[in-house]
Amino acid sequence: MIKALHGLARAEQIAARRDEIVRDLKKETGRPVIGYLCCFAPPEIISAAGAIPYRITGRPGDTMAEADAYMEPYGCSYVRNILAQAVKGRLDFLDGLVISHSCDMIQRLYGIWTYYRPLPYSRLFNVPHQVSPWAQRFFKRELVFFQESLEQFTGATVTPEDLSRAVALSNRNRALIRELYRLRKENPPLIKGSEMLTLLLAGGVLPAEEFAKLLAETAAEVKNRTPAGPPAPRVLVWGSLLDDSTFYRLIEEAGGHVVADDTCIGFRVWEKDIPLRDDIYEGLKDHYFLNFQCPRTDRGPGVRRFDYILERAREYNADGVVGYIISFCDPHKFDYPDLRDFLRQSDLPVQLIDDNYSFTPAEAIKTRLQAFIELLK
Amino acid sequence: MSSEMSRARRHLETTRKMKDMLPRFFARMFERRFSNEPLAWCMVGVPPELLKAFDLLWEWPENFGTLCASRLVAPRFIEVAEGDGYSQELCSYVTNTMGYCKLFKESGEAPPESPLPGGMGNPAMLLGSGFVCEPRWKWFQSIATRFIDVPVYSSDPLAPPWDIDPHNPRIEAHYKELLRDDLHGQVAFLEKQTGKKLDPDLLREIIIRSHTALAYWRDTLALRKAVPSPMGSTDYFSAIIPQMYMVGEEEAVEFYREMYHEVKARVDNKIGITGEEKYRLIWFGLPPWFNLGIFNYLEDLGAVFALESTYNVGDWFEVDDLNDPLEVIVQRTWQRCVKMHDYGAETMPELCNPAVFGGFSGSRLLEEAVRDYSLDGAVMHLTRSCRAVSFGEVHTKNRLAEMGIPSLIFESDMADPRLWSDSQIKTRLHAFLETVDKSKKERR
Repeated sequence: MIKALHGLARAEQIAARRDEIVRDLKKETGRPVIGYLCCFAPPEIISAAGAIPYRITGRPGDTMAEADAYMEPYGCSYVRNILAQAVKGRLDFLDGLVISHSCDMIQRLYGIWTYYRPLPYSRLFNVPHQVSPWAQRFFKRELVFFQESLEQFTGATVTPEDLSRAVALSNRNRALIRELYRLRKENPPLIKGSEMLTLLLAGGVLPAEEFAKLLAETAAEVKNRTPAGPPAPRVLVWGSLLDDSTFYRLIEEAGGHVVADDTCIGFRVWEKDIPLRDDIYEGLKDHYFLNFQCPRTDRGPGVRRFDYILERAREYNADGVVGYIISFCDPHKFDYPDLRDFLRQSDLPVQLIDDNYSFTPAEAIKTRLQAFIELLK
Repeated sequence: MSSEMSRARRHLETTRKMKDMLPRFFARMFERRFSNEPLAWCMVGVPPELLKAFDLLWEWPENFGTLCASRLVAPRFIEVAEGDGYSQELCSYVTNTMGYCKLFKESGEAPPESPLPGGMGNPAMLLGSGFVCEPRWKWFQSIATRFIDVPVYSSDPLAPPWDIDPHNPRIEAHYKELLRDDLHGQVAFLEKQTGKKLDPDLLREIIIRSHTALAYWRDTLALRKAVPSPMGSTDYFSAIIPQMYMVGEEEAVEFYREMYHEVKARVDNKIGITGEEKYRLIWFGLPPWFNLGIFNYLEDLGAVFALESTYNVGDWFEVDDLNDPLEVIVQRTWQRCVKMHDYGAETMPELCNPAVFGGFSGSRLLEEAVRDYSLDGAVMHLTRSCRAVSFGEVHTKNRLAEMGIPSLIFESDMADPRLWSDSQIKTRLHAFLETVDKSKKERR
């Protein structure tokens, strides 16, 4: 049925049935599925090693009581949600797992998950917090260790050429995603924020070539649209991980357009190409570590570290910024006061929504968003 | 609220004497501060020996948080930080400092609520450490962004996860290179900020004195295997202070030596800390600094803590080859990491601490602790605002249950007394002691 659909309709079906899709893919190809969390361990290495990279997502609002036997109640509800999925057996199709040491909770999820629910392959991809020369060298070595561990698991040998090929494929997708983002500069934007996120979530389960087709047909579909309705306030969404389009839909229902984002299944990972250098690991290091904007990485004091957000807000003509932070998300919660003041000084109003990864009560969230959107008019 | 909180009652003459020793030390320090000698604000994880070698003045905002908590003024500072947009979920040591800094910046002087006369002083630099948790990354970044614009160096000690073999020479080289380069980066920063070159001979002397003091401290803690327990948690949590501030001083060596001999004499003479020692427990997590009297409350019920997981000096810090003192720090950090890793680090992967105080939760270490310290149960403090230290308590509880050892996890905080629910916590502690009693009888 999905194959009969095109563009956004297909993306929606894929995003809604990600687990089913990856199970089929595994069956068709005979390749192992490696689930990954966070954006530091390059999925291109997983592909080059002959495995299927699968971006693990949670189920917002789902019960998390199953995690209680293994993990404390005070902690990131996203992490608890993911562990609950693993305990419930909903991720049993995974042959392996790679978790990057992005934040404390994700790092510690790794130990608990692999202790109580071991998988045939698992790896913690360690990531320094500084971007010093020695931290960069560490990251590069970590890339090599990661690749070696995958080679050992799949039996494949990954050459620099294999890796460059995988990177070139994902860069092609980056170009297509940038093209779609550019269509959001229109007023009103030609593609909604919720549609864009759905598309990216679908991409988290598709092989790069297949994702390229989906992006291309979506671009063709969207370009033919006629801008509908009067212009409405435009917002940039900043914050913790968003792996469900519900929050964007709430903004849209509140009368706003999500025109840009700074979240990790959004533009953070797709904005720039992975540099294809002679030393492919140097390019991966630059992309996934040096230039990857996550507040868990220390870029020193001062507000210059937020310049890119302001530049992006200006580029997309955002009227305001909505912050979305999952409860107990330390890196974002620490940055919030500094970022809020910085953006307000730049005449960009900010509205923070603190949520326990459930988007509830939806009406209360929507009311706050409506008030903010009114303010932006 | 304040009526529910009680200050610690210490059992040792040595720790009681700290009330004279520390003010003397602080008076010397304040005198130097007033002479505008450079002051660094530091985080646990920064090797204090290095600070001493640069003859720096230093202050620990984390320790300031414990002081503010114990004097019940932390809520004042925390509320100021919350008003500034810092979430109540964030580390209360951090929000305590952020509120303090905001008031300091607004008035140009230490807020009157500060338990330290003159407050924490005017830092010339901030020395952070990413050891243990990420709030410590963001903390000094935020201070330097919002309140005090001074240079920051945050060290970045990573450790291998629990399922990676640290004995593999490639893994060892991988992690040690990061540790070494990071430490050298820290030294280069200190040399630049102080205008002084590191004197390796001086650093070596300081390390020798530091390790001598720590060896006494470690040996003192080992004496707590004795029944009845010769000292209590109130002594333990007080006695970490000299190593934080007075490292490398002969007075600190003397303090720990004296404590060792006092505790040894108590063991030899079977002097305990409570009338009848009914239950021997292990403490996990940070203590509620605003209510250290809770330990005495339990002692009055016949429950003593023979061991604490947090700030535990542990073992394996001594290094034979002292020729290159920076390499001594690298080596001691790594060898402690490997040892802890061997004990199981599934929930406490932050094992590379260039300073010596740390924590433990290794599964296999628990087995040794239960056996060697004759433990009957575990009490775990789930600190709402410090997930990094309290994370793993559920797992530890599971592992202890496999050994037939009951545990209690109760919720509160280390510095924010607003999260202390006195009657509820005491009811749970009483019920837990009944469980321990029953479990002890069943195990006989």
